[in-house]
Amino acid sequence: MSAELVLFWVFAAAIVASAGGVIIARNAIASAMSLVACFFFLAGIYVLLWAHTIAALQVLVYAGAIMVLFLFVIMLLSLTESGPVAQLSPSRILGAVGTAGLLAALVGALLRLPKTLPTWVSDTAQVQRFGTIKEVGQVMYTQWLFPFEAVSLLLLVAIVGAVVVAKPRI
Amino acid sequence: MESPLVPYLPILAVLLLAGLMAMAIPALTTRLGPRSVNPIKSESFECGNPTLGTARQRFAVKFYVVALLFIVFDVEAVFLYPWAVNFRALGWFGYGTMLMFASTLVMGLVYIWKKGALEWES
Amino acid sequence: MIATSNYLILAAVLFCMGMLGVLIRRNALVVFMCIELMLNAANLTFLAFARERGDATGHISAFFIIAVAAAEAAVGLAIVISVFRARGTVNIEEIQTMKH
Repeated sequence: MSAELVLFWVFAAAIVASAGGVIIARNAIASAMSLVACFFFLAGIYVLLWAHTIAALQVLVYAGAIMVLFLFVIMLLSLTESGPVAQLSPSRILGAVGTAGLLAALVGALLRLPKTLPTWVSDTAQVQRFGTIKEVGQVMYTQWLFPFEAVSLLLLVAIVGAVVVAKPRI
Repeated sequence: MESPLVPYLPILAVLLLAGLMAMAIPALTTRLGPRSVNPIKSESFECGNPTLGTARQRFAVKFYVVALLFIVFDVEAVFLYPWAVNFRALGWFGYGTMLMFASTLVMGLVYIWKKGALEWES
Repeated sequence: MIATSNYLILAAVLFCMGMLGVLIRRNALVVFMCIELMLNAANLTFLAFARERGDATGHISAFFIIAVAAAEAAVGLAIVISVFRARGTVNIEEIQTMKH
């Protein structure tokens, strides 16, 4: 078993465990901290996929900014007490059964994929370039300019929307 | 061929070392250190003053607005990295696209400034 | 190198866990966190296919998904705050009408 495979299984097990923690934890803060751990392990998986830029982004934006915002809101609303124990209701059972069905269908289909490795990896120069911030920038600022400019509008809408909605008196 | 993952080996080493330290230091201090528990020592702050209230207090909403601004401008800064790395190759055209991107967000900044969302009122 | 299908199965498991959380949890903030899990599963799929094809387009998609997730978190949490102010709860079973 190669070191890469060992790391994959370690990260995968940690992701599933911490994602389970997000769902199960009754305290919202525990859920948020579990989610931070999940994002860090996902960054590890991204590194294994040679997505160097996105792995750094995952830590910077997700674990660094989005989760801080979540923790701020949890503290702001003072949701630190644990909620009541969940009751079994028909909608919950239906949701769990539906999710299990989807999972079975997806995994069943994905297991039938051929386990061949991609052929382009014999090109050493391309492998060294792949996923670096330089290559991502080259593609984004030549082929994907319009979505990039659209993101600035999205962020503008987010600024205006959140200030209007969250600010009590303007 | 050298795997692209090789440069990450130092990070892995740091992670393992940090995990080891985080487990070893509390384990060693609880095993080796002498223990004496009394009510004064178990207070949150051993500064002589009685503790007021709880640490789990509600934050004011102004903290939230600051955090929100941080998140949006953090994403903007993240978009600057791939642009900066390719700055020379993209030339003036790339400069213009980034100017458009940034000026849209400056409009947002002006909006929140005028609305007083940055004010630190009580 | 690990075959792409392993990463895809991990993404499917992560997505289903997020979906389970959305369906069974009643705290609006935890539901939000589970939506972030699902977005991350989508990201993982994009990156797995990017490496399969040696194409950076998947990385661009993941980049934009992260930007969308940040905007979504900002606006969504603002909505949670204002709902909490109006109703005093974030339990989505108690928030059933849009009008107040």
